[in-house]
Amino acid sequence: MSSEPANVMANRERLSALVDGELDGDDVVRACALWRDDGESRATWHAYQLIGDVLRSDDLASDASRDGAFVAALRARLALEPVVLAPAAPPVQRARRFAWMAPAAAAAGFAAVAIVVTVLRNNEPEVAVATSVPAALVPTSALEPPAKAANAETPIAGPMVRDARLDYYLAAHKQFSGSSALGAQGFLRAATADGTGR
Amino acid sequence: MTAADADAPLVERVKLGDVKAFEMLVVKYQRRIERLIGRMVRDVDLVPDIAQETFIRAYRAIPQFRGDSAFYTWLYRIAVNTAKKALVELKRDPVVTESSLASRGDDDETSRVENELSDGETPDAVLASKEVAAAVNSAIEALSEDLRQAITLREIEGLSYEEIAELMNCPIGTVRSRIFRAREAIALKLRPLLDTREGERW
Repeated sequence: MSSEPANVMANRERLSALVDGELDGDDVVRACALWRDDGESRATWHAYQLIGDVLRSDDLASDASRDGAFVAALRARLALEPVVLAPAAPPVQRARRFAWMAPAAAAAGFAAVAIVVTVLRNNEPEVAVATSVPAALVPTSALEPPAKAANAETPIAGPMVRDARLDYYLAAHKQFSGSSALGAQGFLRAATADGTGR
Repeated sequence: MTAADADAPLVERVKLGDVKAFEMLVVKYQRRIERLIGRMVRDVDLVPDIAQETFIRAYRAIPQFRGDSAFYTWLYRIAVNTAKKALVELKRDPVVTESSLASRGDDDETSRVENELSDGETPDAVLASKEVAAAVNSAIEALSEDLRQAITLREIEGLSYEEIAELMNCPIGTVRSRIFRAREAIALKLRPLLDTREGERW
């Protein structure tokens, strides 16, 4: 069929399989290296692709110099582009699968802090407890991802941003919130222990 | 493996930073993309520019390509959007190019046919394209039945090697070899037309 050396034919067979997407692993890397380093392989790749196009439709037939000029022009433009670096598919999927956890964790932390703050605010007469709030809250915020930690400060900074639903919640649970300062501190201590335990 | 993800190995290489793998995809799709744009944009002089822009945009966006659709489906959409955007810009800032002036007097139907046939190429290029098509078709006619069937099932029907092996009742390795031999037999007839200084052009 051809007088080409065996290694040339082996390279071409590899390119042929890659045309069909039937090559994997190191063979793909090797075939791409052929395209990069070897003009003969580039011409072969083009010929195989052109054959496929003409098989599908005569009006896809093209002049090789035209195709070559197109790629040469594009290559010059690609050289100005930053190199694409995207994570491989499997890690991306894994990242996406757990992506919901970040906001969920932040929300959980937010809710915990908000409840603690409002519970303690309800015990206003117990001055000792109220002043201990900021110190007690610090370990609680450690529960959250560092980037989301800023969110936790919102309920502390101003009681005005308190969610109306919390008022509703507290009104419904008035008997518990008014129980005792000791109970509230116990809750705080539990949260602190949980935070350092991680 | 189906035809839909035949590009997956190359797309993965591009995502790993291999620009050359993207060039391989360009060589695969440049003719289809230019034909598609040529059908949307009447001004044939703009077709290569819009095709270039399409591939640049695809290259920039490829980290976002998740493989939910075939690579060509994704590229096709980019080409359509790029052509539409070019048409809008053209309306805002019309630039009369030589070829649009030349085709202005033509009857619409006639010039549309001409556009599809020539894509704004010179008569020499049109002739070269016709020679390429004729060479490929006659080389396919000359193939043995086994080789012709294998490459047809792959290129026209889009079947995987595994499916072809099942249909032709032979091992997958034989399918791979038959398709390769078919391509080489056709390429042998094609090479003199494609380039006399083989490799230099690419």
